[in-house]
Amino acid sequence: MSQCNCENNDKLSHHEVMAKMDTIIDRIGSSRRVIIPLLQAIQDEFNYLPADAIERIYERTEIERAQLISVSTFYSQFRHIPYGKHLIKVCAGTACHVKGANNVYDSFVRELKIKTDSVTTDDKLFSIEKVACLGCCTLAPVVQIDDKIYGHVAPGKVGELISEFIESNKAEEEKTGKANEYKLSGEVRLGMGSCCQASGSADIYNELLTKANELGIKVDIKSVGCVGVCNQVPLIDVVLEDGAVKRYPNVKASEIKEILHHHFKSGSLLRRFKNSIINHVDNYHTDTTWNNVVWKSEAERTGLINSFLSEQKHISTEGYGFLAPLDLDEYIHHQGFASLKKVIAENKPNQVVRDVLTSGLRGRGGGGFPTGEKMKIVASSTQKDKYLICNGDEGDPGAFMDRMILESYPYRVIEGMVIEAFATGANKGIFYIRAEYPLAVQRIKRALELCRERKLIGRNILGSNFSFEVTVFEGAGAFVCGEETALIASIEGDRGFPKQKPPFPAVEGLDGRPTLVNNVETLSQIPYIIRNGANHYAETGTENSKGTKVFALAGKIKNGGLIEVPMGISLNRIIDEIGGGVEGGEQLKAVQIGGPSGGCIPAHRCDVPVDFDSFRQMGAMMGSGGLVVLSESDCMVDVARYFLSFTCEESCGKCTFCRVGIRRMLDLLNRICSGSAKMEDIDKLEELALNVKKSSLCGLGKTAPNPVLTTLKYFRKEYEEHINGLCKTGKCKDMMQFIITDDCTGCTKCAKACPVDAIAYEPYKVHNIDQDACVKCGLCVDECEFNTIIKVPVKQEVYANND
Amino acid sequence: MQITINDKIIDVQGQDTLLKIARREGFEIPSLCWSKDARHKSSCMVCAVKDLSSGQIIPSCTSKPVEGMRIDTQSEEVMQVRTLSLELLLSDHRADCEAPCSLVCPSKLDIERMLNYYDKGQKEKAFGLIKHAFDLPKLACENCKAPCEKACRRGSIDTPVTIRKIIKELTKVVDATKVDEIENVAIDKTKFQSRLGRFCESEKARLKETVSTPSNCLHCACAGKSACQLRTHATTHKIKRPGYDMSSALQVMSRIKINDTMYFEPSKCIRCGLCVYNSDNGFTFKNRGFQMEVNLPEENKKNIRVELASLCPTGALYIVEN
Ligand SMILES: Cc1cc2nc3c(=O)[nH]c(=O)nc-3n(C[C@H](O)[C@H](O)[C@H](O)COP(=O)(O)O)c2cc1C
Ligand code: SF4
Ligand code: SF4
Ligand code: SF4
Ligand code: SF4
Ligand code: SF4
Ligand code: FES
Ligand code: FES
Ligand code: FES
Repeated sequence: MSQCNCENNDKLSHHEVMAKMDTIIDRIGSSRRVIIPLLQAIQDEFNYLPADAIERIYERTEIERAQLISVSTFYSQFRHIPYGKHLIKVCAGTACHVKGANNVYDSFVRELKIKTDSVTTDDKLFSIEKVACLGCCTLAPVVQIDDKIYGHVAPGKVGELISEFIESNKAEEEKTGKANEYKLSGEVRLGMGSCCQASGSADIYNELLTKANELGIKVDIKSVGCVGVCNQVPLIDVVLEDGAVKRYPNVKASEIKEILHHHFKSGSLLRRFKNSIINHVDNYHTDTTWNNVVWKSEAERTGLINSFLSEQKHISTEGYGFLAPLDLDEYIHHQGFASLKKVIAENKPNQVVRDVLTSGLRGRGGGGFPTGEKMKIVASSTQKDKYLICNGDEGDPGAFMDRMILESYPYRVIEGMVIEAFATGANKGIFYIRAEYPLAVQRIKRALELCRERKLIGRNILGSNFSFEVTVFEGAGAFVCGEETALIASIEGDRGFPKQKPPFPAVEGLDGRPTLVNNVETLSQIPYIIRNGANHYAETGTENSKGTKVFALAGKIKNGGLIEVPMGISLNRIIDEIGGGVEGGEQLKAVQIGGPSGGCIPAHRCDVPVDFDSFRQMGAMMGSGGLVVLSESDCMVDVARYFLSFTCEESCGKCTFCRVGIRRMLDLLNRICSGSAKMEDIDKLEELALNVKKSSLCGLGKTAPNPVLTTLKYFRKEYEEHINGLCKTGKCKDMMQFIITDDCTGCTKCAKACPVDAIAYEPYKVHNIDQDACVKCGLCVDECEFNTIIKVPVKQEVYANND
Repeated sequence: MQITINDKIIDVQGQDTLLKIARREGFEIPSLCWSKDARHKSSCMVCAVKDLSSGQIIPSCTSKPVEGMRIDTQSEEVMQVRTLSLELLLSDHRADCEAPCSLVCPSKLDIERMLNYYDKGQKEKAFGLIKHAFDLPKLACENCKAPCEKACRRGSIDTPVTIRKIIKELTKVVDATKVDEIENVAIDKTKFQSRLGRFCESEKARLKETVSTPSNCLHCACAGKSACQLRTHATTHKIKRPGYDMSSALQVMSRIKINDTMYFEPSKCIRCGLCVYNSDNGFTFKNRGFQMEVNLPEENKKNIRVELASLCPTGALYIVEN
């Protein structure tokens, strides 16, 4: 390998690096299989993987060069070059993509003058990266700088955003300096998850800082993971010392002082408020008057909150809006761990398996395999060691349900896991969570500690002779590691190559032992089934799909967010009644479901019920639960291309059809989107797609063509238009150009707005765009008050024919 | 247990793979990423068969039989999958099986081989080939429009190799009577010809910098062609040109010297992984997806045994005699 011979960031001496390395190795271990945790720890310490640190690994551990290169270049988390001081993550998730994330990315690169072959500014202040879904799709396009999240980022406002960040960062450094002197009395979370920080967050953030200072209150202010209803922003959560949360939706800067004052005066008050929250979802949804803070009625604030909730049914997200994530007592108070107590008291593991079978629960990780069947296989093995893995790798770039469940209901997932372990005789459990979800990792780790104290996990659970140890493994950034055999390979310290099935992990999994792999959401449904009975659970849903499904509803929708709906509800009802219809009054065009493995369901078929089988019949897939609403202004060919470029990058690279086949499909799509394709290319694309689907070795390759095949099936005409040089939506930039019509008044605004000076400054004259220089950012269009800048197809004849 | 392969009912015992069983029963199935007694993971899909019970296309080299399985190894659908897998591999395979110059010489002189001797200083051998190919003393080149020089890849970088001049020079410096003929094997044009395609600007610049031989020749012909199964299968599957755009993330024409006799050429590698799985801290994979390549770190070269070359199904890893 061409070793990176860059010196390390902090200019540590070789000796210091070695000392740090030795500490890390002593802490983590030196066997082959700890390679991923080891590299993660090194990157945590040095911010990248310095070459001399790597050399130390060869000297002190079993890990050899071949393995290290293989693993460290497979996972996208690992960096071999030092990054700048601040990291800008531009979300390139599905929702952000359809709202123009590429323009935002380009703007940053332009604004920061980052060179083409680099990702870091010359002064090493900023590095930039595209990432998949930051979990606040409703505020798309979204950008995260370090741990600050900005929503609705307009390409033209990128410059302002950077300066704002630099300033608030200065303020932050001052704040940290002071705050260290005191014990924090709680924290204020800006944002519901990542989301709310984004919309107008800067004001709220600054206000929080100044007012906290003014009042002499020491609180930690940070942004956190999402718990739904992402459209109620800006939103702050006040988290008290015991983990209780008070939430203020649609908060205004003028209200901050009062809120802070209220919560952080005295401990007894905190208690009082905490109690007032429990069981009062209403606090969130109804009017409240509170000292001087006058709350407007929710309907007035948001209009649609009630209908947003009315169609939902909460099983995985039970306790929605009031459960403090880490408050174990509260969870127990709300029947938490009652199911576990029940199964342990009854001591009939086989009955539990039967109950899950009867419930009809099917895996929520995408495949929809009956969970009970899988449990039965593992339970039937007589091997001494059996594993249970909770799959929290959630890689769909437009979804964040599992993250939300892990962050907000950690105990429910743990309970589901322990119940399954008891039923199947598994003695070791592993939470596999993406490293991109630090809050989820942190919450689960803490929740596990608290459970261990209460003997809910560990040795002799609840005084029985059943023991079950649980650990956490952080994934390192590879979509394919959501696939169960690849996931297992990565735990074993290898690159995430999937294995041929059979044998299935339930028979031969981690270390060759029977391994039950279940999705986060699947596990979170288990306690409900046990507590309320399998038959009761089976009452919800359709013939072959029982219970509820959690979706991340995003895209061109009025009210996006996390929703949990009963199976069988139609997509139309989700869109209209929960989501409040398409954003901006546009027409619905299609719904993309199941992310890169799924497909696009056209508007006229959106009466389809949410159901594993009916989606599959349509060529789509339930997938993990991303639901992206697409409107008239979205180009379906571009959507297909978007997903394919995702899978092309995420393919593990092992087998021919996926590694090369997807690349060749992408080549064809790129040609189609740039207007240089021929009609035969559509057939060629289809043939290749069918073959990749048929002949790839794992689920990634087998499903990757779905976005292409469904759009070809339902929107073939759009492909044909592209061949003829027309992209009606103007999304395919190579096929359109901006021109200024004769109505131009010569106000010169566009000339000032253009970041690349493609418009000459000519006061009182009709302006003109230099097409060669134009980067098609559209900033001039936004600026022009007279709407004289229009998009037209590049091909003249198409332009003429469409007039 | 009993399975059916193409209507033939077969009793199977033990843990053999479908590939092994089918071949034993006389059905032909090609393979690339599999090698007898070597560690492997299915990747190429050239050994595809169809499991009629499930309707799935599966790699026969790792799949094990299950009771009542019905396997199809020769239908048109299966053939099409195999052909397509080869085509896809070849679309990511920017290399020449034969040198363009040798392909066009009307006298069928293997020019590249001749230049190879020349560049090694073995002028007698170079002349031996010419002697066998031409009707000496008449030089075939004299009435020839020299398509070889027009076809020469070096020409797109700077100037073509001066083939005629070199041939002429050889006739002058070598004593024709004292040199034994060496059999000039004409190129078998019925075989599949992989072609490198055009160099891009950066490739031109790199090759201009890095490849300098006495004759200036790039030695386009594949040094590992004698044992290349990729070419054999492409020939039997009647592939002419890959049906898709060619592009590759691998460096064209880069020869990495492993030890005194072994070389590795990344651009010919199909990423089957045989050399990775069968060397101990030797070859390794780097990156993923289309960017995935097989890599040999400098420090690991010492761990490579010569036997590894025979595992490689292409001309990517080969041994050079003398
Ligand atoms: C490419 C690919 C990605 C996957 N990603 C995930 C994932 O992010 N989360 C998940 O739970 N399952 C994922 N799966 C499905 C898993 O392989 C596995 O079926 C699932 O975790 C089983 O749990 P379940 O039965 O509860 O669904 C993925 C599968 C494939 C082929
Ligand atoms: S289908 Fe793709 S991800 Fe799956 S094994 Fe093949 S190359 Fe890897
Ligand atoms: S590796 Fe095989 S197919 Fe490739 S150039 Fe060499 S002989 Fe031809
Ligand atoms: S010039 Fe000589 S070497 Fe070249 S093609 Fe003609 S005969 Fe062959
Ligand atoms: S570079 Fe050498 S081998 Fe290649 S075409 Fe020219 S003379 Fe022939
Ligand atoms: S060098 Fe040969 S053996 Fe190694 S991966 Fe490439 S093709 Fe396979
Ligand atoms: S936040 Fe960008 S797609 Fe989800
Ligand atoms: S570059 Fe200014 S709008 Fe095109
Ligand atoms: S020989 Fe079977 S997949 Fe390559």
